[in-house]
Amino acid sequence: MIRRAVLVLLVCCALPAFARAAPLALLTAADVPALLKPPARGERIIALWSLDCAYCEPNLAALARLQRAHPKQTELVLVATDGPGQHAAVAARIKEMGMAAYPARLYAEPAPQHINYLIDPDWGGETPRTLVIRANGTRTAISGELTAEQLKRIGP
Amino acid sequence: MLMCSRRVPGFAFLLACSMPLAAAAHQAGQMDMAAMDQGPSLGASAAFGPDGRLWLATARDGHVQLRHSDDLGKHFSAAVDVNRTAEKIDAHGENRPEVSVLPDGTVSVAWTHPLAKPWTSEVRFARSIDGGESFSKPITLSGNNPNGSRGFATLAVAGNGEPVIAWIDNGDVNTPKIPGKPHAASLFYSWSNDGGKTFGAPRRMPGHSCECCRIALVREPDGRVAALFRGVYGDNIRDHSLAVLDTDGKPDDPARVTFSGWQVAACPEQGPGLAIGSNGVMHGVWYEAKNGPAIWYGQLDPGHPPKHVLKIGGPGASHADVAAHGDSVWIVWNQVNAKGYQLLERTSRDDGITFSAPRVIAESKVAVYSPQLLLRDGRAYTAWNTADGFRLIALHGAAGKAP
Repeated sequence: MIRRAVLVLLVCCALPAFARAAPLALLTAADVPALLKPPARGERIIALWSLDCAYCEPNLAALARLQRAHPKQTELVLVATDGPGQHAAVAARIKEMGMAAYPARLYAEPAPQHINYLIDPDWGGETPRTLVIRANGTRTAISGELTAEQLKRIGP
Repeated sequence: MLMCSRRVPGFAFLLACSMPLAAAAHQAGQMDMAAMDQGPSLGASAAFGPDGRLWLATARDGHVQLRHSDDLGKHFSAAVDVNRTAEKIDAHGENRPEVSVLPDGTVSVAWTHPLAKPWTSEVRFARSIDGGESFSKPITLSGNNPNGSRGFATLAVAGNGEPVIAWIDNGDVNTPKIPGKPHAASLFYSWSNDGGKTFGAPRRMPGHSCECCRIALVREPDGRVAALFRGVYGDNIRDHSLAVLDTDGKPDDPARVTFSGWQVAACPEQGPGLAIGSNGVMHGVWYEAKNGPAIWYGQLDPGHPPKHVLKIGGPGASHADVAAHGDSVWIVWNQVNAKGYQLLERTSRDDGITFSAPRVIAESKVAVYSPQLLLRDGRAYTAWNTADGFRLIALHGAAGKAP
């Protein structure tokens, strides 16, 4: 048991780039086009979530499982809509969820509607919202905690 | 801070070891804002007192702050801290510090106080009986369960001149569970018989409510207070419920008043607006997104689909409010586009049968909070808090233009 734990520790230490916690960066209106740019390959899943959303954590966990199942074809980005005043709380929640290694953004504006609109005009701001952008430029957007069927559909 | 207590099992290790290299590269060149201050919040509410004075409640640095204006918002008094001891205040999403003024001039203030444990919070209340110069020590209205999650405290004044307060409680032990769901929320309310000095035990409204949307509270012609709130019907159908907050007998079940059938396991963070005319006609505005985002107006008919339904806005429209006086009905809402925000308005002069074309009555390049309609001497005003400051916009005097 102890030998196995040591082995796990060594594996982790050998992969510093994987284990490094990504800083929570602000997402400004000017940053949105880059976020929405189709990836070079596979797909980017933009997981829009908020602190007060009861459905967001299980949704993020499900998306993380999907990403782990297809690590080379799927990029997962967490985007919190809460605003810069909630930076500490959002960073803490990401850490609690064990998702600190994923790229994470937080809206730079204190009300979400403007950046919501830039990301997707057909989205009224409900969270969770999952936006999938594929290398071929196609998109899929779904509001609400994803069902097993929806998760299967958005996978690569 | 209202939130269910569902937690995800830790899987940090597996996650870290399976991350794509792109994750680290994605952050290049971005600012680390970990040290950013909380700063002032956009969440705010306003109310006219019986003497026409305008009161404004905001939150900053752990204090609910109150200011007043005697010239319709052109100039304000210095801010007075409602809670002397700083505490966490939730003025985020649709939570906001709430102000209401009783007929005798007592100023009532309520807010949501997040507790140390994540997703726990309580409803706080304080009052001033000296014209807003000082406030009573805050009291907690939402019970003593340290694991409770309450929010969206909303105030109204009943016909007897006493304050009534309602809030959403997520996970109270008295709220029936929803099969297959880890959380269930309901509307709770309480009232005072001594001008807000004390309140009775909270009363739970039967049925379930949405966990993350504001409540609209309005006095009916008979003096009772009615609540319009987003409910949860069946499997996550997010239609709206209307309830009378009875202070005598047992409350009746809330009645369903919208039937859009929008089914979503999500937090809409867009509660409804309600106005009740002296003739008893109930004017509602609400958001749903079954076929794309939409704001609707309708005359509410408990248990039946609303009448005179009108689509007010589509993509980019949010957070509508409604007011009524005589045959006049006013609707305001935020409309966002790539350039910024507009405050839009439509007016009816025939009790909601027909409405004027939309017109823009204010604009903002910076973030804005939900508009709030206020009435004074039969005239409508919009309270609009923006990141650049608070504005009070008279609808009768606004120049307006086509959107």
